[in-house]
Amino acid sequence: MFKQIYKSILSLIIGHLTVFKHAFKKRVTLEYPEVKPKLSDRFRGKHLFDIDKCKACGMCQKVCPANAITITKSENGIVKCYSIDYGKCIFCGNCAYYCSLGSVKMGNDFELATDDKNSLKLNFTKENK
Amino acid sequence: MTNLLKTMEINVGPQHPSTHGVLRLVLELDGEIIKSCKPVVGYLHRGIEKMAESRSYLQYLPIVDRIDYLGGFFNSYAYCDCIENLLNVEIPVKAQYIRVLCMELNRIASHLLWLGTFMLDLGASSPLFYCFRDRERILHIFEALTGQRMMYNYFTFGGVRFDIPNEILEDISSFVEDMPECIKDYENIITTNPIFTSRCVNKGIITKRNALQYSITGANLRASGVGLDFRKSCPYLTYDNLEFDISYADGGDAYSRYKVRIFELYSSLKIVEQCIDFIRSSSEPILNKSVKPVMLNIPEGEYTSIVEASRGLTSCTVKAGGKTPYRVKWRTGSYYAVQLLPELLVNCEVADMMAIFGSLDVILPEVDK
Repeated sequence: MFKQIYKSILSLIIGHLTVFKHAFKKRVTLEYPEVKPKLSDRFRGKHLFDIDKCKACGMCQKVCPANAITITKSENGIVKCYSIDYGKCIFCGNCAYYCSLGSVKMGNDFELATDDKNSLKLNFTKENK
Repeated sequence: MTNLLKTMEINVGPQHPSTHGVLRLVLELDGEIIKSCKPVVGYLHRGIEKMAESRSYLQYLPIVDRIDYLGGFFNSYAYCDCIENLLNVEIPVKAQYIRVLCMELNRIASHLLWLGTFMLDLGASSPLFYCFRDRERILHIFEALTGQRMMYNYFTFGGVRFDIPNEILEDISSFVEDMPECIKDYENIITTNPIFTSRCVNKGIITKRNALQYSITGANLRASGVGLDFRKSCPYLTYDNLEFDISYADGGDAYSRYKVRIFELYSSLKIVEQCIDFIRSSSEPILNKSVKPVMLNIPEGEYTSIVEASRGLTSCTVKAGGKTPYRVKWRTGSYYAVQLLPELLVNCEVADMMAIFGSLDVILPEVDK
């Protein structure tokens, strides 16, 4: 009985000392949104799209699991409007990985929350790059 | 007096913070004692198996990460392995090592999250912060390697998408160096703590017979004294070239499950260490270029791949049918652990419910799929 009490008290003391030790460790949290996290180069955020490179091959549409990409072509086969629906996009990065021309890339912007559903649809056109 | 007046029926969940998701438990209570328990699942059903039938093999690949969002690599590997076997292609050895490395780091991250939340269920808040702090290091590594913290989409048919740069390997080796010290700290706080032991020892005992009858797998099964680990008994990838021990305990109680998972952290670190050494010295390709994932057209056939995931065996069965899968079936460990709850919780006190449920490491997206 006394042995058990002694063991319990000892383990509590060791536990408290461990917690005390951790109190002096370096802080790991960031004061977000004032301080932004450092993101890696491969981070998959909001798309960056270069309409001049795009040949409207439709590969990104074919590999998209969420059917979030719509390409509108003009009569001579050039991209008129390239739109991504962020209401559907799951940021898998398939479009960027399989685009052989490098026109679709994943950017670093991840703050995409909005209260307007229509603003989730992003349209890239020649005029609005 | 009728039974109705004697007992009280209450709902725990589906929005209860301790259920780690959306599990609803209908409990029949007699005072503080649980007389019966009925788990109600399906609140998080997304139709993941049905989604496969309307998508190409490649389009379905990012979705499988979402079956168990804490162990995305395991699901990804199980699915990729099925497709690779249906196509009869070999994957380069370096890619195999990278896959093992990712899965073992994923196992550590998953167990750390379990440990933190399990301790929070029992009322200890410090371990949660320590576990999340250390898990964050793994998530940073995953973000640098794959592009995202949880939904990786990193494995692909025939290998992996990107090579591991040396900086990331340095990060991983410094993590592996620091981690044993951190695990020792968790053990100092938790293992012999009298409050923890009194709430976990001899609570929620799963006997060997029960565990086998209910198809319990993973750490829960090993805590019941059955040393079944598919990494050892049926090695896939490069596990037969790696040295590691599997852990099992005889108690079958919540405390044994805790001990087994803590040991698994150490063994996973050992595996990661060996993988780093190989990946550093290898200059092989990481992708079998003969596979063309976009235009896959697999003739009729069926393959089942079994993986030792962090919550038990995960198996994926793909029945190919041309350009899209004809049928995909997932078997996940948590589903079977939830089935066991009515057996485990009967005649327990309400206060013990969360300790028992938490110790099973159930995650609901995996149950509901």
